[in-house]
Amino acid sequence: MVQINFAQKQVNAKIVYYGPGMSGKTTNLEVIHQRAPEGNRGDLTSISTDGDRTLFFDFMPLDLGTVAGMRTCFQIYTVPGQVYYNSTRKLVLQGVDGVIFVADSSPDMMEENIESMKNLEANLIEYGRSIEELPLVIQYNKRDIEGALPIEELEEQLNTRGAPAFEGIANTGQGVFPTLKAVAACVLDSLHKQQSSAGGQPAAAAPPPAAPVSAPPAAEEVAAAPQPIEAAAPEPPAPAPAPAPEPETASPAERATISMSQTGFHRAPSVPLPKPEPQAAAPPEEVQPEASPPQPAQPAASASPAGELRMAPPPKPAAPVGEAPAGGSGLQMAAKPQSFRPPEAPAMQPVQPQAAAPPPQPAQPPQTAPQPVADPGAMATQEAPPPPPPPTPGSMMRSESSSSVPQRRTPSSNTFRGPASATPASAPRPTPQIEKSKKSAVLTAVIIVVSVAVGAALGSFVLSIL
Amino acid sequence: MVSDHKLREAQLVYYAEDVGEIEQELDGFLELSGARCAMLIDRSGHLVTRRGESLGGSLDSVAALAAGSFAATREMARLLGEGEFNSLFHQGARESIQISQISDRALFAIVFDDRSNLGLVRFYAEESLGRLQELFTEIQVRAESGTERGEGLADDFSSSASEALDKLF
Repeated sequence: MVQINFAQKQVNAKIVYYGPGMSGKTTNLEVIHQRAPEGNRGDLTSISTDGDRTLFFDFMPLDLGTVAGMRTCFQIYTVPGQVYYNSTRKLVLQGVDGVIFVADSSPDMMEENIESMKNLEANLIEYGRSIEELPLVIQYNKRDIEGALPIEELEEQLNTRGAPAFEGIANTGQGVFPTLKAVAACVLDSLHKQQSSAGGQPAAAAPPPAAPVSAPPAAEEVAAAPQPIEAAAPEPPAPAPAPAPEPETASPAERATISMSQTGFHRAPSVPLPKPEPQAAAPPEEVQPEASPPQPAQPAASASPAGELRMAPPPKPAAPVGEAPAGGSGLQMAAKPQSFRPPEAPAMQPVQPQAAAPPPQPAQPPQTAPQPVADPGAMATQEAPPPPPPPTPGSMMRSESSSSVPQRRTPSSNTFRGPASATPASAPRPTPQIEKSKKSAVLTAVIIVVSVAVGAALGSFVLSIL
Repeated sequence: MVSDHKLREAQLVYYAEDVGEIEQELDGFLELSGARCAMLIDRSGHLVTRRGESLGGSLDSVAALAAGSFAATREMARLLGEGEFNSLFHQGARESIQISQISDRALFAIVFDDRSNLGLVRFYAEESLGRLQELFTEIQVRAESGTERGEGLADDFSSSASEALDKLF
């Protein structure tokens, strides 16, 4: 599900790479991580087996920058491809906004491709989603492999709904970015349409990206088509010379694929490689300026998680600390040492002797004292009861914590309410209550001493008789 | 094609006012529990908001992993015929994390260290969960009834997105 967070001025969307095992999903993500501008990419997290096979998922956040005042981020996931891991694969699909299906062009992999596509449909249905409604882009990967299946055959078998499709050689980076760009555009476009229709806003802005470029790209596609994927040759020269113009040539072609979501297959072999390098050079300059403005804007709104993602080290201290978090943490830090720890010692010492030393006389008075105090000290007693319940948590290994919980909580609650409510409650106590408690304490002490003496006398008497 | 209701369901929209209330609740929780950090994460793995101390590493990655971890736990519960485990706890030598579920759509993740303890965190988390649950119900009801807070994406969002994509790729 796309998350639109107006408080953070942020839009988050989830894109998932799907496909059979070893088709190149993780490789796609690794290439994106390597070549995306540093300021736009987050850490690549991979939950994989020892053999580098994806066990649960790979994950990487990608920050698109500020779009119409909203910081737009993609959370990119891959799924484990093996049939065996279907349960975890299904979990990753939860809340997905766009899917890139990475098909393996190897001649003996057609079965797996088809099975995986069916599996995708089935898993989406379990979430009440339809593959027809979901932005889907197909990448025919491993086009450089010997005996690769012809595109027409792959299209016929896998792309029955005419989704945008790209050829790719993921381990060289070819076709990786065009594919991602196409699905990202589809996701954002459908998001805007949904928002427009849901919010009653005119969806006028939706068509623009598509319409203008739809014609020229067709020509480009045709021109590109004759050049086989071996375009690996033209790639190397391209990157160094002209980084700026290339994106331009690439964008229209991709726009076309995006707009003409039903035109079917699009070749993007010559485009991909040039992009990655220009990104490293030119984009950073262009994107960062855009990226930086949102940061000051976010702080104003409140917490800024994305800020941390982008620039791991610097923003952390700046963004979070500057705002509420700082206040929050500051309060905690200040309050805890004073309220939690110190109180514990004094609180425990008086309490323990009471419970542990009943025989001696001094211990008895306190037992009676709490009773009278309980009535007037409503504020304190209200909080005292809760502490007992918490011990429940310490079921696993909490023999220590369970014993310490009530002790800590009592002081903590006193200190927190103290400034606000406990003070007034503690003021009235001294005069009426203390006097009463003193009297009752003296009385009970006397009674106990007498009873002890009587008991001792009786005991000695019985002993003497025996 | 798709009904408005379904479209609204397909998105999670958090308005500034709602997030403000959520953050207030999280601040209160942190103050009482002594936990390091409290995060609200939607079940797709997107971070909604975070309060308290900053965590090392990528916060978005932590959110995604927490959601994935919780999803796996839920699946285990289903396989065991338990319906759902509504909380999850990981204990470390210094840091621990407790994740609880709020309604069907969000997770409440709490990171704490030896300045607090599990009992304290769970006790106050229970209290906060009740209030957060109410907040989410309100948000849900509002979304379903179509009562919105007046905020929306700009009309030029789509075209701006296209430009941004051109720049990035």
